[in-house]
Amino acid sequence: MNPIITLTLQANLRYLRIASIMACNVAEIFADLACNATDIAEFCHAYELSVSEAFTNSVRYAEPSQPEKQVTIHFSSNNSTLAVSIIDTNPQFNPVTQAPDISCYPEGGYGLFLIHRLMDTVSYTRKDNTNILTMTKQATMVHEA
Amino acid sequence: MNISEKTVNHYTILSLQGILNASSAPTLRNYIAGLPEAQSLVIDLEKIEFLDSSGLGALVGIARKKKSSSAVMKLARMNDRVKKVFEITQAYTLFDIYDDVSAAAEA
Repeated sequence: MNPIITLTLQANLRYLRIASIMACNVAEIFADLACNATDIAEFCHAYELSVSEAFTNSVRYAEPSQPEKQVTIHFSSNNSTLAVSIIDTNPQFNPVTQAPDISCYPEGGYGLFLIHRLMDTVSYTRKDNTNILTMTKQATMVHEA
Repeated sequence: MNISEKTVNHYTILSLQGILNASSAPTLRNYIAGLPEAQSLVIDLEKIEFLDSSGLGALVGIARKKKSSSAVMKLARMNDRVKKVFEITQAYTLFDIYDDVSAAAEA
């Protein structure tokens, strides 16, 4: 993977839209450069939504005793695949993929499930007390009739 | 996120505009908390530019409270980006969803 851009933000929901808008913009530019993507809007929405979910989780699980915690968002690419990693130093977590039981009217628990449904691959690594959640998606080619 | 309010029949119509995410969901929850518990609602989502699971969670939580107080909560005018979140999570099964506000307030 070739690095594109890295952004580090304070772990605060005040900066949530910076993270998700940047994801959308990087995805749009990437899809435009990589190929004639079939649906750039959908590709961008997948990144905007997935980064919004992952950044929110990073903020929510940041320890309140350390208000200066940060979240790093790293984009990289390989041919037609764009990868984004969300990196934080929160406690280790279980990247559960199970859908919440919607009949119970749950107010939470959708985030990682949504990410798994929107992206092609999702991987979680715990290394040196750091969580690294990496998501990739391929920009698909236009197939003209 | 901006919220505007009007009344049609016995429904309070709340029109949301902007971003509904973890940052703005408390604004919606607080606004709803200021309305009578048994007040039936139509939430107009036409001008929601972006919704994530925290925004969805806020809507689901409001629906649960309305259900427990025997009030009605309906959603109207979802755009495709909002609709996608409801489809993936199957949250559409929890709501009556309408294509226009007046139909929601008449039903």
